[in-house]
Amino acid sequence: MNSNPSTPMNAHAPSSSSGGAGSPDSNTPRRNSKRPKYSRFTQQELPACKPILTPKWVISAFMLVTIVFIPIGLTTLFASRDVVEIIDRYDNACVPGSKSQKVQHIQSATSNKTCIRSLTVRKRMKQPIYVYYQLDNFYQNHRRYVKSRSDQQLRNRGDENDTSTCKPENEANGMTIVPCGLVAWSLFNDTYSLSTSNSQLTINKRHISWKSDRDEKFGSEVYPKNFQNGGLIGGGRLNESIPLNEQEDLIVWMRTAALPTFRKLYGKIEVDIEAGETINVVVENRYNTYSFSGKKKLVLSTTSWLGGKNNFIGIAYLAVGGLCFLLATTFTIIYLVKPRHLGDPTYLSWNRNPGGH
Amino acid sequence: MTSDRSSSTGEMNSDEFKSVDLQLQSSSSHRSISSNTWRAGSIKEVGVIELGSKGGVPYGSRKGGSSSMSMSRREIRDEDSRLVYVNDSVKTNESFEFAGNSVRTSKYSVLTFLPRNLFEQFHRVAYVYFLIIAILNQLPQLAVFGRFASILPLSMVLLVTAVKDGYEDWRRHRSDRIENNRLASVLVNNVFEQKKWKDIQVGEIIKFSANETIPCDLVLLSTSDPTGVAYIQTINLDGESNLKTRYAKQETLGTHGVENISGVIKCEKPNRNIYGFLGTMEVDQKQVSLGPSNIVLRGCVLKNTSWAVGVVVYTGMETKVMLNNSGAQSKRSHLESRMNKEIILLSFFLVALCSIVSICAGVWLRRHRDELDIMPFYRRKDYSGEDEDNYKYYGWGLEIFFTFLMSVIVFQIMIPIALYISMELVRLGQAYFMIRDDHMYDESTDSRFQCRALNVNEDLGQIKYVFSDKTGTLTENKMEFQYASIFGIDYNGEKTEFYGEEGGYYAQVDGLILRPKMKVHVDMELLQLLKTGNDANKHIYDFFLALASCNTIVPILVDTSNPAEKLIDYQGESPDEQALVYAAAAYGFMLIERTSGHIVIDILGDRQRFNVLGMHEFDSDRKRMSVILRCPDSTVKVIVKGADTTMFNVIDKSKNTDVVTETESHLHAYSSVGLRTLVMGMKGLSSHEFEQWRSSYEAATNALMGRARLLRKVAINLETNLSILGASGIEDKLQEGVPEAIESLRMANIKVWVLTGDKQETAISIGYSSKLLTSKMTQIIINNNSTESCRRSLEEALIISRKAITSGENASLLALIIDGTSLVYILDSELEEQLFELASKCAVVLCCRVAPLQKAGIVMLIKKRTDDLTLAIGDGANDVSMIQKADVGIGISGQEGRQAVMASDFAMAQFRFLVPLLLVHGHWNYQRMGYMILYNFYRNAVFVLVLFWYVLYTAFTLSTAINEWSSVLYSVIYTSVPTIVVGILDKDLSRTSLLKYPQLYGSGQKQESYNSTLFWLTIADTLWQSIVAFFIPLLAYWKTDIDGPSIGDLWTLAVVFLVNLHLAMDVTTWTWIIHASIWGSIVATIICVIIIDVIPILPGYWAIFHLAGDGLFWVCLIGIIIASLIPRLVLKTLVQHYRPSDIQIAGEAEKFGDLMESRSAEIEMNQPQR
Repeated sequence: MNSNPSTPMNAHAPSSSSGGAGSPDSNTPRRNSKRPKYSRFTQQELPACKPILTPKWVISAFMLVTIVFIPIGLTTLFASRDVVEIIDRYDNACVPGSKSQKVQHIQSATSNKTCIRSLTVRKRMKQPIYVYYQLDNFYQNHRRYVKSRSDQQLRNRGDENDTSTCKPENEANGMTIVPCGLVAWSLFNDTYSLSTSNSQLTINKRHISWKSDRDEKFGSEVYPKNFQNGGLIGGGRLNESIPLNEQEDLIVWMRTAALPTFRKLYGKIEVDIEAGETINVVVENRYNTYSFSGKKKLVLSTTSWLGGKNNFIGIAYLAVGGLCFLLATTFTIIYLVKPRHLGDPTYLSWNRNPGGH
Repeated sequence: MTSDRSSSTGEMNSDEFKSVDLQLQSSSSHRSISSNTWRAGSIKEVGVIELGSKGGVPYGSRKGGSSSMSMSRREIRDEDSRLVYVNDSVKTNESFEFAGNSVRTSKYSVLTFLPRNLFEQFHRVAYVYFLIIAILNQLPQLAVFGRFASILPLSMVLLVTAVKDGYEDWRRHRSDRIENNRLASVLVNNVFEQKKWKDIQVGEIIKFSANETIPCDLVLLSTSDPTGVAYIQTINLDGESNLKTRYAKQETLGTHGVENISGVIKCEKPNRNIYGFLGTMEVDQKQVSLGPSNIVLRGCVLKNTSWAVGVVVYTGMETKVMLNNSGAQSKRSHLESRMNKEIILLSFFLVALCSIVSICAGVWLRRHRDELDIMPFYRRKDYSGEDEDNYKYYGWGLEIFFTFLMSVIVFQIMIPIALYISMELVRLGQAYFMIRDDHMYDESTDSRFQCRALNVNEDLGQIKYVFSDKTGTLTENKMEFQYASIFGIDYNGEKTEFYGEEGGYYAQVDGLILRPKMKVHVDMELLQLLKTGNDANKHIYDFFLALASCNTIVPILVDTSNPAEKLIDYQGESPDEQALVYAAAAYGFMLIERTSGHIVIDILGDRQRFNVLGMHEFDSDRKRMSVILRCPDSTVKVIVKGADTTMFNVIDKSKNTDVVTETESHLHAYSSVGLRTLVMGMKGLSSHEFEQWRSSYEAATNALMGRARLLRKVAINLETNLSILGASGIEDKLQEGVPEAIESLRMANIKVWVLTGDKQETAISIGYSSKLLTSKMTQIIINNNSTESCRRSLEEALIISRKAITSGENASLLALIIDGTSLVYILDSELEEQLFELASKCAVVLCCRVAPLQKAGIVMLIKKRTDDLTLAIGDGANDVSMIQKADVGIGISGQEGRQAVMASDFAMAQFRFLVPLLLVHGHWNYQRMGYMILYNFYRNAVFVLVLFWYVLYTAFTLSTAINEWSSVLYSVIYTSVPTIVVGILDKDLSRTSLLKYPQLYGSGQKQESYNSTLFWLTIADTLWQSIVAFFIPLLAYWKTDIDGPSIGDLWTLAVVFLVNLHLAMDVTTWTWIIHASIWGSIVATIICVIIIDVIPILPGYWAIFHLAGDGLFWVCLIGIIIASLIPRLVLKTLVQHYRPSDIQIAGEAEKFGDLMESRSAEIEMNQPQR
């Protein structure tokens, strides 16, 4: 028989020549046992929850989605319906002619850019009414454009010369431009003045930008300098005596839009406008979108908890909710017509066709 | 001698057995061939050193392999040798600059660390891809991401790996320093002085005493033993704990003291064969040949010898142990190779995306070419300077090209590079759990499971063939003497626990009581016969004398608590021999002393000294060994012991015909109960015969060329006309749990093939006892020795098998038994195909009498023809080749040496651990890894696609709404942890279910967790989810004043939530760790997004807060998540309802187990009726 590793005979083996064939490890001291320390973690037996897709769960999940989604869908749809929105595209209407004529007109310093539009209010608009300008086909998210700015410079007076990212609009006539870069350079500069038949509508342009931008992103010490003095005028000019954090049009403009069709807040009208009223708009149509077939629109819109007028979300929610309802019923029918006993070993493949491997 | 010339040119068609180093590890091939039949080969046998054999060698052939030239018959050519001037290190080192004895296992020094470590890291293709992308991004034209953001992920990975490598290397440096500064006594100016190991040089003479570690490879000159024997332990070298004998040459033992020895040693150049050495020594104008038994190697420990002196031949990195220090060869897992194919597909997707973007960009530029100059958002011209140059515009063609490169940078994570790193981490985690599994810990040897390779974890879940060694793997390799057939009489009577008076037989020597360490059951009748004297007694006496003397066992005395009593521990390399010697001792023939010149045997209380005049060691060609003894009565006897097949050829059958036939029938009976048998024979030598033998023996031993062959010739001439003594039957016990394990594996649809060196009968009987074979099975036995007959029997067998299948009988009842001789003709010939066809139809395949290389050949037979994964499990050096060839190699860390373990991917102590390893861990690993790969594809592709859709709305200019930091952190922080945690911890089924239904293993074999269908489904799902995630916000925010960073934050959060919830939907076992990782990731993402948005100089300042105050954001977020996951949930539900997988049913059964118990009992009752 083999020697037992724990017999005392081995304990005194002088040559530590190990215990021979029978017990190669008999000279390993017991205290150094390599037995893995038992824990539920190492044995992968931590307490666990094992959810299983039972019919009950599946159906109730789908029903839950239905119950949640359809109401949300309906409310958003109603909210969107309540929003009154007036959109007026004026770029073509204000400048007639072919494309080159339009470009010539807009680029000319002397031509009369004033243009008068009248809008009809079909539904009562409750204040605040937001005045937006909408640009189509204007890629404010273009790689060349979006990077052409210096946030350092905007924020900090000391970093005025930090304009390396602003090329090719970083300096003009050998001097640094503040604010530099294509974004600022292309500042939108059409202006609108609105009036109803009986009164002038004041457009409040205070606090149209994010407070965080005014407080942190744009410095109160930074003043425009050498702006729009280059070879090519891109857009609006800035009053050099007003610090950047008060130039709200610039701040709004510089929060670059995510999508090629976008609106930017121009101001707020803080009176209600009754249905049937006509609004006269005097547009100073200065901004050049003609050279790249962009569109300019004026938008007046009330707001809801969801923002502007947009039926998509409501429809999408209704669709998903409806689909889930359909699925819930389908699965109910499936489970009723052809139930499967959960965890039934007869369904195991080797039990279904015994012997067949 | 004439043949030596031809042999050195490699032309000789030797009748040698075939022995080829298949891989670097299997250097001990000469041993390994023999090891299964009869483990008597000792280290003294002149090894077969394979230096020249490279490349493909046919597995099956046994003859005609001219490349199998054994080095022993080759003269060392001058250019292949090194000259060592004994005790003259200056002269030795002047012509050749030999390495010093300092070793360096560390890879780096302070200076080389950075370049070398980086070089090694960039061996991984993934890192190179990373690097190229990062470099591309540094070009000003292509700078998509900021400098720092773009190199962050790569530098993080590099840094982590470098720190890990650096720490490991520092530890190696430390151990090297300790090692190099150890002291050894070196002969300097005829005095032994202490010298640091690192200063030892080739040619110096070193003295070392008992229990000292040997600092370098030495040729023994003399030892404390007058005959020049030294015992060494090689546990550091090959893990074998038993003692091995080494000899100093008679010529150097001389009386004139070590100091005066001078001579020249010519030996082979350093090589890694630890079982081979060849050299000659010129001492006193005499040529002395040196073999592997004359050298001691670095790392060995001197035992039972008070001192030894040797001359240094190899030092430092050139020592055999250091040359053997190479890492394990790397295998690539099946899953990973599949994954690489899909990654190539993904790279096509990537190229497609990039092409679409660059073509569209080209078209856009073309259409707007006249407007570009003054377009406010493009403004090609720079008006600030004197002349109006183009600003960053390189012409239409180049712009397209740059757009392509930029899109590669933006979409880079389409190729999931992080996946490679995650996979390594996951495997590490899986290994952690495998190593710590309580169920794979062996109490008796105190050994855990070992993961030696980390790249085949998931292959464990897909194994279809298990190739198992028998001895030591299925059986314990603890031999016990059971039956004796002595001179035609079978002594297999009742065994008693015979301890006699005071516990077993003992001998008294010099007032000391000596007891054998292991007790053996003895046959009372036989013992009685020995004590009474009669005619039969003579044969019994000779039989036990043969057992006690004809071996290479060394008795070692071990102290006990009683000072007057010592234990004899028989140390030797063959467990069979140990069993025989212990048995002889139990019957009163106790071997108590062995030197190279004589042995002392205590025969029934009478100490007798036998001079050992010569010994012909075991070789696998003769399959026997013999000793030539001069008995106390001055007669000379030859005692031979060997395998029955070869022994009956040399036994003079005319002498005792009855005895021979009786013995043969006993042998048959023994082997049919699974015993290993050996036959003893003996003859006396007349003085004339003796002289004749001695002269040829001496000539052969001193021959410089072809020594092994000459010795074999001498042995064959001597071993003739023997008279039979008897035979022994030794039991090799089955390991615990083997039948159950085999049953489980079979139920898991894993084919178990047993490849053994044992005899057919033994193999079959083990087959029965391990439940591999059952009485219901039809056995097809192929035993042939020509190509033609093999062909015939294969064809017949195929007909039988086809008949069995077509007749509707269960095909699983076929068992194929084939022997090594037949395999010689079948493997590597056109018959292979037929064998494969036949074998694949059989449930069980037993291969007996196979050589190590044939084992590898059989593995290749399967590997070449199928994609099925193979696993080889074995414990001995003879299994190394198959362990390396198989997809997964497992070494049993048991009785035999550690060579199998060294070559293996995993090592464990017991065969039965294969069941938890494959069925539980293998299943888990495979399922986890498969899911993780698919998930990583999905995770990265969803993000890339969201970026891609956005690019279509930016005039194809690759600006991203998602902040660059978020893009970088996406695969680093936002989504990386949960997939790794789930990859390590998720369990689809519990251990109990997996073991209860071994058939569940089939999911891995059928590739249920990773296949093309799943891949394409995943891609389709990815596409849908990315569309939902992108277009819902797009349409919701169309024509609003949403700014880029805000909608970017929405997309970031949507994708991250989506991806994490998708994972949550697929997790089956929710432990707190998984909860923490998934919800933690989501929280971490929110925190990161907030942090990014509170940096005022980033354009997205405060965006997230504005966004969160907006109802539309929340509505979008919820809508995205629900709408994205619906198709997946629906598909999942439908599949689970209509085509539930076994895993799923078992999972349900686990949950609703109690309900099912009654039903399953019903099924079991019904089943027999089918």
